Amino acid sequence: MEALFYVFSFIAIFSALMVVTMRNPLTSALYLVLCFFALAGFYVILDMQFLAAMQILVYAGAIMVLVVLVIMLLNISRIKNIRSDLHQKIIGGLISLILFAEIVLYVINGAQKKPTGIFTHTLIKKIGNTQIVGEFLFTEYMLPFEIASILLFVAIIGAYLFAKKKY
Amino acid sequence: MMFWLIADIIKIVIVFAGLLGAAAYLTLLERKIAARIQNRMGPMEAGFHGLLQPIADGIKLFFKEDIIPEGANKFLFLLAPVIVVIPALTTFAVIPFGAPVKIMGHIVPLQVADVNIGILFILALTSLGVYGVVLGGWASNSKYSLLGGIRTAAQMISYEVALVLSIVGIIMIAGDLSLAKIVSEQSHMWFIVYQPIGFIIYLIASTAEMNRVPFDLGEAEGEIVAGFHTEYSSMEFAFYFIGEYAQMVVNSAIIVTLFLGGWQGPFLPSVLWFLIKVFFVILIYLWLRWTYPRLRYDELMDLGWKFLLPLALANIIVTGFIMILLNR
Repeated sequence: MEALFYVFSFIAIFSALMVVTMRNPLTSALYLVLCFFALAGFYVILDMQFLAAMQILVYAGAIMVLVVLVIMLLNISRIKNIRSDLHQKIIGGLISLILFAEIVLYVINGAQKKPTGIFTHTLIKKIGNTQIVGEFLFTEYMLPFEIASILLFVAIIGAYLFAKKKY
Repeated sequence: MMFWLIADIIKIVIVFAGLLGAAAYLTLLERKIAARIQNRMGPMEAGFHGLLQPIADGIKLFFKEDIIPEGANKFLFLLAPVIVVIPALTTFAVIPFGAPVKIMGHIVPLQVADVNIGILFILALTSLGVYGVVLGGWASNSKYSLLGGIRTAAQMISYEVALVLSIVGIIMIAGDLSLAKIVSEQSHMWFIVYQPIGFIIYLIASTAEMNRVPFDLGEAEGEIVAGFHTEYSSMEFAFYFIGEYAQMVVNSAIIVTLFLGGWQGPFLPSVLWFLIKVFFVILIYLWLRWTYPRLRYDELMDLGWKFLLPLALANIIVTGFIMILLNR
């Protein structure tokens, strides 16, 4: 299991780096798909096959297909002249500094801990991880779940209005 | 431990070889059926009634010149056909193709991997097939390929929604995502009896997912030459073909598992039942292809979004209501 973790970590970090360094947007998008696959691998290691399948189905199978489609339609296979001004550099530098500080804090405070919940490996195997996720979504986390669905509903109506608008 | 390793490897080899062989011979079956429907004989020269035709085709494609068009993105151009084949072959890993057998005191399930999220695994992998088509269309650096790729991408995204929703009714009745459990739940009655609408939606949506007539807008030869695989030749072209036919076998196997009781049946051995059922579903796909004319593009989108999607949603709601009324 530990070896698998390092393999997936390497793939995830490598592909994430390639996403931001590649000149061709389509190649970047494909590396992002690879990154999502590595994340799905982490979920499988953590006994959450349901999340892994959803990660691939929703992100790799649907959202990234749309991204690839848009890149193809705009035909921006190569960014010719990148203009970067001072604002971008300052904001980018700030964000990366904050992220780096967060990582440092995590590494310092993140001593190894045993999992504390009641859901052990054997229990998850017995009930089935989809059933556990479903039960929690519809009991304890009912309110956030419903808020998310209302948000998505509003987004659908918004998209519909934009598509209907005649210019 | 050693026993399970060897058993798993044998199962994987059988599934892999079986799928590739079936994909090759489906080309012959398709040509024969097409010929019968159009009152012709079909291939007759190679072997008895054309039985060696797929091998002859394979050898021909293998020795053809490998052409990569100028200005094409070489890596993606070669990668795209592979992306089409791999999900199609991997999907079969979770489909149970026979009753568990007893070998040397161990009970071996005839299924490469019994994942507890079987259906989601299948859906996740089939949703990746679109990349092969889209990338192949883009990397070829040809307008016909690009048009075919874009059309196919839009079509596959639209029909995937209906495809996923048509299965939800099955999951509700079976109460489990594992395919082995779904098959064993159907020992009394096939799910097609409870979910006839789900079955029809899945049949239509999966035909659209495979880009077969009447939904082959991406390779409409009257309009855009051959669509996304216009520029492909030799083995890369063969890979697109293998991918398409392997997908057809896999989709038939999924239909059999979800709606037609899987490997269950009286008298005959379970594997034989499974193969017979899969064969008949494949016949339905072939029959559809040679009977219906191609849809127009706006008709295709209307059918997907305005007809199949609401129907699938209504199917889920009605299934839920009936389950509550019957107190299951």
